[in-house]
Amino acid sequence: MTNPILENIRRSLARTPHPTRSLRPDILEPRLPESEDSEVERFLLEVNKLSGKAERLEQANILSALQSLIVEQNIRKATVWNTPRLNQLQITNHLSSLGVELVSPNADKHTSAQCDLGITEADFLLPETGTLVLRSSAEKPRAVSLAPRVHLAIVRPEMLRADMHQVFAEAKDGNYLVFITGPSRTADIELTVTLGVHGPKNLYVWMIVQTSNI
Amino acid sequence: MSEPPAYIGFEEYSEHIPASIPAAVQQATSRFVSGRAARVAELPEWEQLRQAGSEIRLHTIENMDVYLAQLEEKILSAGGHVHWAQTAEDANRIVLQIAKEHNVKTAVKSKSMATEEIGLNHFLEKENIQIIETDLGEYIIQLAGTGPSHIIVPAVHLKKEEIAAIFSEKLDMNAPADPIELARIAREILREKFLTAEMGISGGNFLVAETGTLVMVTNEGNGRMCTTMPELHVAVVGIDKIIPDWESLTVFLKLLARSATGQKLSTYTQFITGPRHEEGEFGPKEFHLILLDNGRSNILQDPIGREVFKCIRCGACANVCPVYKNVGGFAYGWFISGPIGAILSPQMLGIKTARELPYASTLCGACADVCPVKIPIPTILRHLRRRVAEGDAISLPTIPVPIRAAAGLSSLALAHNWIYRFGALILPTLMSIFKRNGWIPSAPYPLSRWTKSRPLPPFTSHFRRWWKTARPTQGKDSTR
Repeated sequence: MTNPILENIRRSLARTPHPTRSLRPDILEPRLPESEDSEVERFLLEVNKLSGKAERLEQANILSALQSLIVEQNIRKATVWNTPRLNQLQITNHLSSLGVELVSPNADKHTSAQCDLGITEADFLLPETGTLVLRSSAEKPRAVSLAPRVHLAIVRPEMLRADMHQVFAEAKDGNYLVFITGPSRTADIELTVTLGVHGPKNLYVWMIVQTSNI
Repeated sequence: MSEPPAYIGFEEYSEHIPASIPAAVQQATSRFVSGRAARVAELPEWEQLRQAGSEIRLHTIENMDVYLAQLEEKILSAGGHVHWAQTAEDANRIVLQIAKEHNVKTAVKSKSMATEEIGLNHFLEKENIQIIETDLGEYIIQLAGTGPSHIIVPAVHLKKEEIAAIFSEKLDMNAPADPIELARIAREILREKFLTAEMGISGGNFLVAETGTLVMVTNEGNGRMCTTMPELHVAVVGIDKIIPDWESLTVFLKLLARSATGQKLSTYTQFITGPRHEEGEFGPKEFHLILLDNGRSNILQDPIGREVFKCIRCGACANVCPVYKNVGGFAYGWFISGPIGAILSPQMLGIKTARELPYASTLCGACADVCPVKIPIPTILRHLRRRVAEGDAISLPTIPVPIRAAAGLSSLALAHNWIYRFGALILPTLMSIFKRNGWIPSAPYPLSRWTKSRPLPPFTSHFRRWWKTARPTQGKDSTR
């Protein structure tokens, strides 16, 4: 099997017929995590700096938080990842009880694109950059975090990883991964920052923390 | 941009530059320069990252064949297709063939320099396939029918009023001169295209050999749309985009957005390994990667010139370049502009076609200072200037014979003391023939090229003779 491009590369580099590669140069050590509390704090701060709306939320307050989100963003249709955690939080039940029409996350693209709100979890979170890291599967479709004009990610502190290195070590063998760092943005017209040009205009991140016993 | 240029007239263009260009370009470059500076200041390990980035890129260039072979194997085992395109025509034909097999009428495209390089839009349009740019800036210049003026913000040379006029004319509407409103209009129109197009076309920022992964970095989300909605995804990527593994990626992702836009990370970074696994997850059913050579494998012969392939396309070199800031992107004549264009285009198009570009620089070195992968741009510029002057395998020298003869003679004289001294002895005598009132107002060719514009000062005394009489004596100097 000959490949003229590979052969020409070998000729140009004066390689032997069956080359082996030299060792890759070293890479910097990953960042080390700080305390969970300060990692959470850092993550929320970075999302907010990017015009996202990130906050801590007690599990008991989810229904009321959803209610204000729906009013604030005028949500009529929503689509939600079909994951055990979101099911356990009864997100779809809450939405129905608030009068929001639910669309299956696996609905066809035209239907998905009409949703006002997409709700996902995250697989990992990067505190330094305020990044959500999402994998994909039939239960966790890619369009839910992309097509609706509002994206809500419901996350937990356990998802935090100190650096990209740790995320990649755990996730590199999947077929798809996306880093989401803030809402969709452009500065293409006169350098004016405009949010929501193709992806969601509004990004909400709720960090679910243990309900405190008062 | 359709065909590669037959000649890049940098000088001609720069003399007739529209006044609006430098102003708009400098607004963008100063924004990016200060954004980059702020991000770099936050990161104490910045210089170590640059060093690692530079070393990994060099290592990858030197082992490119092995990594590309690994990439192909991994993509195939992930269920994707890999095509090798030796030339731009090959790449265009492969895209067309895939499109025809899938009965594609409309394709949505995410910003890509490789497809600009091969002139894909023009080619597909001739074949009656509609191809729509979906990055807002690219969409605007596609409607306007012009080229990009800046690598990151391609339509920065257009004022909002001009963009509104373009929208109104081309889209048959009454568009207001408001950036937010214009972006909303584009979102609505393009959303429909994303949902109906049969094919998504993209470039790629990196190709990870370890797993056969295509990495795409975008801000608007159009890159995600192009690779999520259509059933078919075709990526056209230069072979130089290969990197060894995901560990290497940690270095480049930390360098890229900070250097380009002054963000810590761009909004969306996608890592795509083959097609979707399950229908319900969205994403394409078929994934094709076209690996583009288009002369790159030849450039690898040149150990100085090939460092251009370390480039990660951030545009930081252009943002600090005093020449780029005053002429903008069009002057560089092809898909890539700024200092990186000045060292890439001559190597890809041939020295003859782009012979002005290595001179489109003051050699101030600002570009090398900010380059996240430490490309020695001034060194490569000087290297290319030498190739322009002396000719290379395919081009004749551009310096006229008399000048080259004079340069040859002087290098001979400077290398041999006796020739130099002999010349110094006879030249004043020879020149005295032309001397009038202490100056030489006109001299025979080739010196007439000088005297046409100003008189030549005659050789008067020679330094060695003068030094013997005028230098301070040893004794005086050493006593203090």
